[in-house]
Amino acid sequence: MSETINNEVQSNDVTLTKKDLWKILIYSSAIESGCNVTKQEAPGFTQGMIPVIEKCYDKDEDKKEAYTRHTQLFLTEGHLAEFCVGVSAAMEERYANHRDIDPDSINAVKVALMGPLAGIGDSIIHGTLRPIMAGIACSLVTASSNTSALGPLLFFIVMAAVTLTIRYLGVFKGYESGMKLVASMQEGGLLNKLTKYAAIAAFIVCGGFISSLVYCSTPLTYTSGKTVISVQEMLDGLMPNLIPLLYTLLMYWLINKKRVSAVLLMLATMILGIVLVYCGILA
Amino acid sequence: MSLLLQAVLVSLVVWIGFLDKAFLHTFIYRPIIVAPVVGLIMGNVSIGLEVGVAVETMFLAMVFVGTAVPPDETVSSGLAAAYACLAGSAAVGIATALPIAIIGQIFRQTRNATIYEFTVKRMEHYAQEGNTHGIIMYTTIIPSIIEYLCFGLPTFIGVYFGAEYIQDFINFIPKEVISGIAAGAGLIGAVGVALLLGTIKDKTTWPYFLVGFFVASYLGVNMIGVAVVAIVCVALNYYKDKLSQEEE
Repeated sequence: MSETINNEVQSNDVTLTKKDLWKILIYSSAIESGCNVTKQEAPGFTQGMIPVIEKCYDKDEDKKEAYTRHTQLFLTEGHLAEFCVGVSAAMEERYANHRDIDPDSINAVKVALMGPLAGIGDSIIHGTLRPIMAGIACSLVTASSNTSALGPLLFFIVMAAVTLTIRYLGVFKGYESGMKLVASMQEGGLLNKLTKYAAIAAFIVCGGFISSLVYCSTPLTYTSGKTVISVQEMLDGLMPNLIPLLYTLLMYWLINKKRVSAVLLMLATMILGIVLVYCGILA
Repeated sequence: MSLLLQAVLVSLVVWIGFLDKAFLHTFIYRPIIVAPVVGLIMGNVSIGLEVGVAVETMFLAMVFVGTAVPPDETVSSGLAAAYACLAGSAAVGIATALPIAIIGQIFRQTRNATIYEFTVKRMEHYAQEGNTHGIIMYTTIIPSIIEYLCFGLPTFIGVYFGAEYIQDFINFIPKEVISGIAAGAGLIGAVGVALLLGTIKDKTTWPYFLVGFFVASYLGVNMIGVAVVAIVCVALNYYKDKLSQEEE
């Protein structure tokens, strides 16, 4: 890496400065703006490339070609997309200066990164961190009997700090060591390991959510001899949160194996709730 | 505060939420943030917090992967909290949240498939010309305005013109239905957890699901405790992997 930097300085090539990287960070913050069905995050990505392309290329023809290159379909998790932006910035800079890489490889690297980054981002940020923090915020509010806004405040501070840091690191680290990092990720099986760790965390959190997110109780009772037995107590004695667990597994089976729409299941659950309360089976 | 001003402010809160979704994505569009802020505007933070918790819980585990558009939690929590404050009852918010979320989802899907198809075409046109102002116009400025027209404005209309019908609506709905909706809302979390389970790529780690279930349901550990257990399990696996890699 240091060698290339020396070369670039000697031959008066255009290199992106810290200030340019900040500019990229600001321009590419629109990554999820104006997403449509066919191109998804392409507009935000193209806008993020403006500081790079305007600085690195002199000829209008080259600029047009570079912009057109980035209007291809792009879709990954919004925060980690910045890493792709950083890597692309480094590749555009190299292509503009040396012409020693195939311009098509810029899109090829983007496409190769899209899937793994989406998998990690969706499961760690959206699937684990955000639900845990929101769950903690909710329990803080409930514990204060709806008087303290400490929970929402904590949620805001933690989520803003984490997401903005990821964005910053994505652009800066992606630019500095992006290509090397991509190579070492694929060699060392880092992506597979991250996927595994994310899976472990998400499974534990999902298991934990059953007790706090899914709840139902039945007022049903039956008499055996002279004692009145509550069905709810009997179920709790068998296994706490048995019905929520079974209902969750049923939903999982319907969504993932039977391909039933989740929105349909939400509506069906609502209607089921109304019907069961009306019949006196649920309270 | 007059209802007009309140309706304008609530619509701005929802708009800022949508801008957050499009730009920095710091999660201020979540119900747990939107509903208390709307409560503050409507003069009842407590109901705002209560609706925030209820709607957040409903959508907590909803993770829609890739191109799928989820039911919209932002419009939903904004309007539901406003209605709950107007009626003075959090139950109203909980009852209206899901229908509004699904209407919001339809708006989003339509927007992506129609208006944004057009703006992206324009953006591509300017990209081919190398016109940076055109790219910024159709990536940042016009979509931001569209977000207000698609979501902020309907929120304003919903609060300003819907306010007088809220009391009629509550009187119209039987008590059983309201408590039925509450029971249904308790079970809706299951759909979310099922969606979250579906996003997990490496299914071979499934026994950890039982670990989480055991500590929370049998031992009564809260979410912070469950998070600690998750950290412990990930750390143990990390060190085990590191050790086996060194041996190789």
